[in-house]
Amino acid sequence: MLDFTILTNNLDTYLQGFGNTLKASLLALIFSFILGVIIAVMRISPMKVLKAAGTAFVEFVRNIPLILILFIFYYGLPSLGMELSGFQAGTIALSIYTAAFIAEAIRAGILSVDKGQMEAGRSSGLTYIQTMRYIILPQAIKIVIPPLGNQFINLVKNSSILGVVAGLDLMYFGDSISSATYVVFDVYIFVAVFYLILTIPLSLFVGYLERRLAVSG
Amino acid sequence: MISFKNVNKHFGDFQVLTDINLEIKEGEVVVVVGPSGSGKSTLLRCINRLETITDGELIVNKKGLKSKDTNINDLRKEIGMVFQHFNLYPHMTVLENITLAPRKALGISTAEANETAMFYLNKVGIPDKADSYPSQLSGGQQQRVAIARGLALKPHIMLFDEPTSALDPEMIGEVLDVMKTLAKDGMTMVVVTHEMGFAREVANRVVFMDHGRILEDSEPAAFFSNPKEDRARLFLSRVLNH
Repeated sequence: MLDFTILTNNLDTYLQGFGNTLKASLLALIFSFILGVIIAVMRISPMKVLKAAGTAFVEFVRNIPLILILFIFYYGLPSLGMELSGFQAGTIALSIYTAAFIAEAIRAGILSVDKGQMEAGRSSGLTYIQTMRYIILPQAIKIVIPPLGNQFINLVKNSSILGVVAGLDLMYFGDSISSATYVVFDVYIFVAVFYLILTIPLSLFVGYLERRLAVSG
Repeated sequence: MISFKNVNKHFGDFQVLTDINLEIKEGEVVVVVGPSGSGKSTLLRCINRLETITDGELIVNKKGLKSKDTNINDLRKEIGMVFQHFNLYPHMTVLENITLAPRKALGISTAEANETAMFYLNKVGIPDKADSYPSQLSGGQQQRVAIARGLALKPHIMLFDEPTSALDPEMIGEVLDVMKTLAKDGMTMVVVTHEMGFAREVANRVVFMDHGRILEDSEPAAFFSNPKEDRARLFLSRVLNH
């Protein structure tokens, strides 16, 4: 039977960790989405330099472990004279890492829009960016919602990496409660419950969006 | 208004257009015909640079298409284009489809763009569809919206890339009628089509292409009654006698 006094005695600590996990996830969600859209548009742009830069970013970031990206920001930047807190380094690393996956999902969505749409937009004098913004992206986004939702759920779970660099998140405080109480199992079960409080509504929301967009055609 | 001089175009090793020379004057209606794969659509798409030419000279509305000084977006605002598969924006209403480029590319106010859009929707005969989505329209209606969308830029030239090829036979007439009205109003038009009736009735000139070359460039009466080239004669006998 779970020892609920672990939860009640350490509720403030849990809630502080929960708040920081939520904050890091929201910030990383926003940054990674914006960065992901930019990288995706770069990757399919007709300009070779942009295309190469976008591809290089995705291939580099996607093919190394998240924890290494984190270490680059947490341990690497101070040697260049830039000191980041664990929370900041973690959120930045998470944003960059997730952006690579989001870029790939969005790129696939954009490529699935009929190429006549781009031709119609461009032939009427709209610029590449305008055609993307008003014609291609609004159509691509519907296709992209399910894979994007999965990426955001991964993002919330991956935010546990903050614990490694004292990022004051759920995982970090889970560790500290565990070492203070000598309880392992119950402590982490409650940590898991807090993660589920974030991920299950997110998953339901993505399902809802999917159904709504399917109706509007 | 449109001038091809010794234009060639390659897709990799494959030469799609060979030594194209063609002059189209203001107000002319030129219909391009020929078998599939003869380079008709490519020729048309070079005019607004949806395809780039490999060498030679192409001048549209006094602007060289290869020149660095030519702003392609500005040039494209002067050229309306209608596609085989309509290419309407499915997430926008008919009105939004027509007003997007005038608002965003020309910088016209929404109110004025709406007014212009309604004018052209009236012209193509479906003002009542302004608030519909493309998926709610028949093919013929969609193509008429696409024509209105092209016209809303008030272009000097209209390009038509097989505008009736994707339509049910019953819908073809309504689209051709709109095109005929446009031609009567003096619009400069380049039309790639298999509609020989349209070519005969409306065109000032018929250009016949095969294997990336222009084989014949004649008035429709001459082309249909007495084609100069054997290949054109064979093409006409297959298209007309069935």
